[in-house]
Amino acid sequence: MINVTHLTHAYRQAPWRVQRQWAGAFLLGVLALAMISALYLDVTAQTAIVGREIQTLQFETIKVQHENADLQTRLATLLSNANMEARAQMLGFRPAEAGEIHYLVVPGYVRPKGVNLAVTEPATSTLATPPEYTQSLLEWFSTYLQPPASGIAGGVLP
Amino acid sequence: MKEFSMRQEYAWRSMFVAALLPLFALTILGQIVRIQTSDEAQLFRDQANEFAMVKRTFYPERGEIYDRNGHLLAGNETIYTVGVNIPDMIDASALAREVSAQLGLDYEETYQKLLNPYGLIFVPLKNFVRADELAPLKETFEQMKKDAAAAYRPSALSGLEFQPTLQRSYPENELASNIIGFFNRDSRGNFGVEEKYNDLLAGTPVEAWVPQDPNRAAEIPKAPDGTTLILTIDRDLQAAAEQSLDQALFEYGAHNGSIVIMDPRNGEILAMATTPRLNLNEFWRYGEYYSQSYEYNPAISMQYEPGSVFKILTMAAGLDSGAVTRDTLYNDLGSIVVGEVLIQNWDRRPWGVQDMTGCLQHSLNVCHAWISTSMGQDIFYGYMQRFGVGRPTGVDLAGETAGRLKVPGDADWYPVDLGTNAFGQGVAVSPIQMLMAASAIANDGYMVTPHVLYGMVSEGRQVNIHMEPAGMPIRTETAHILSDMLATSLESEASLALVPGYRVAGKTGTAEIPVNGYYDSSLTNVSFIGWGPVDDPQFIIYVWIERPSTSIWANDTAAPLFSEIAQKTVILLNIPPDIIRHQIAGQ
Repeated sequence: MINVTHLTHAYRQAPWRVQRQWAGAFLLGVLALAMISALYLDVTAQTAIVGREIQTLQFETIKVQHENADLQTRLATLLSNANMEARAQMLGFRPAEAGEIHYLVVPGYVRPKGVNLAVTEPATSTLATPPEYTQSLLEWFSTYLQPPASGIAGGVLP
Repeated sequence: MKEFSMRQEYAWRSMFVAALLPLFALTILGQIVRIQTSDEAQLFRDQANEFAMVKRTFYPERGEIYDRNGHLLAGNETIYTVGVNIPDMIDASALAREVSAQLGLDYEETYQKLLNPYGLIFVPLKNFVRADELAPLKETFEQMKKDAAAAYRPSALSGLEFQPTLQRSYPENELASNIIGFFNRDSRGNFGVEEKYNDLLAGTPVEAWVPQDPNRAAEIPKAPDGTTLILTIDRDLQAAAEQSLDQALFEYGAHNGSIVIMDPRNGEILAMATTPRLNLNEFWRYGEYYSQSYEYNPAISMQYEPGSVFKILTMAAGLDSGAVTRDTLYNDLGSIVVGEVLIQNWDRRPWGVQDMTGCLQHSLNVCHAWISTSMGQDIFYGYMQRFGVGRPTGVDLAGETAGRLKVPGDADWYPVDLGTNAFGQGVAVSPIQMLMAASAIANDGYMVTPHVLYGMVSEGRQVNIHMEPAGMPIRTETAHILSDMLATSLESEASLALVPGYRVAGKTGTAEIPVNGYYDSSLTNVSFIGWGPVDDPQFIIYVWIERPSTSIWANDTAAPLFSEIAQKTVILLNIPPDIIRHQIAGQ
């Protein structure tokens, strides 16, 4: 019994073991610090990249808006009254005279009243947040495991 | 023992060094903390913050303008500012040479700008460069960049930048320029719709602090685009009206003219042609066309004596007040004295016994002066005020004139005015005012407010405008009777204003122009106001020509022009001839 106690005591007190414990703890701390630093660097770098991407996309958005405006104006110029009249004349058309017009009664026809430039889906200023930003790991996992909705692939084609 | 002493000494030394090192480290840490929390550090932080965020104003895209059928009348296009980013510049000479050659600039001036930027980081060399104008330079720039990259050297045109921005563009050039107005480079709408609805079209700019640090990238607020406007104008009808007006001015040797076409049921202006017209894409040439601002759109801005077209208002007042009826007979002796002043007919001869249709048909000044004096000044001017004479119509175009109606009590009103006003002398109106007043006769007694705005589109939603009647100056019955009288008078004299297949009502006006206080019978403004089809009016047209030289009479000039425009109108608006319309109604 005395021998066992002595051995245990001797083992615990061994200087090389205490030093190794200290060294291990220190290395663990260094490792943790390195990991945290690496994680921080990674997140920072990714944020910077995404930030640049956002700026690039914003510039792209402006560019596309400009292109849209340009194309719309160009189209309007091509379809302007003067151009259309000139093209019609080139094709041999001329304005109709009163006596040349035949009026037909089309049952059920209702003449359209003015132009409607409203879009079907009103543009919203805030975009929907993608699920990746809101769903938990469990939710993502259950979505991942869920079988795909049966569509044409799983149904009967006509 | 000695060995023990040495080991102890080493231990002390080691402990000293071991104690010194943390102390040194602590000192460094302390110094770091001290520096970070010092006043100077705060100053540096404040300075850094000033550059970390940039306050930027985001201007929305200016709203577009469409006609009632969705044709674009005013849009936007990209233009560029060509300049050089000085820190990136390598070869000022090459830059100056290329840019000046491609964009037509002076080489020496450009070169000096680049050599002496006066502290500017970005030196603009030319503003408002259109895309097609810039294309060759852009192509050269890209080619040189590619060649330089292949040779692993920087391009000689390094630093050259093309900064895009949106500018107003008018695809129809001068078409409807008087209605649309223009948007100048000071970001201000001038005349017409551009000025009247400038705030709506411009939208609301959004100011935001934008971080320079990409780590702090924040969402840039979206500045909603300016409101898009849809006008009541029919582009094709507008073009037809302008063509007819230009042709008529040429044929009749006239100075200027206006044609306004309106839907009398709701006040929607379908076309408004005037002369001269400005190419809106070259708005800086404004001074070459106009010397006074009212010349830009005389249909709303120019006031003048209307002459005989005004008689329809006098007759409407007479019939509505009961002073006369359609069948009232008047023995025209060729002259009448009102306010101790002799008033005569246009031909200075008596026309004998006339009913009221005859008075209109022969445009008898004396008869109408008699009607106004029969009503009395209070009733006559009461009606004129209800017709809106002498005050703006409220048309949604910038620069409308109020006209002038002198009434008893005014310093410059004389008793004779009661007689002369009855046939359109001594009173000043604009074409749009005359049209608004006459709309009451065409529209069952209800007067409408002329307007050009059909609808607005904002954030994808469209709101259409519905205008309430501006009043009911006369009864429905009066309006019907007078319309019929005017149609009959045109048919009786086989007027050149008649429109084959359609029954129209209308009245000519030949107004002598006052020169130095006297009317010059050789100088006239001629006009015609008419509407149709009489039993269901769908258009009302006002034609005004200034100083025609081939004939001074409206019957020979304004009346046939009305007929021509009305024929185009019924075709473009798909209004079937009366006989077909009645057949359809009978089915």
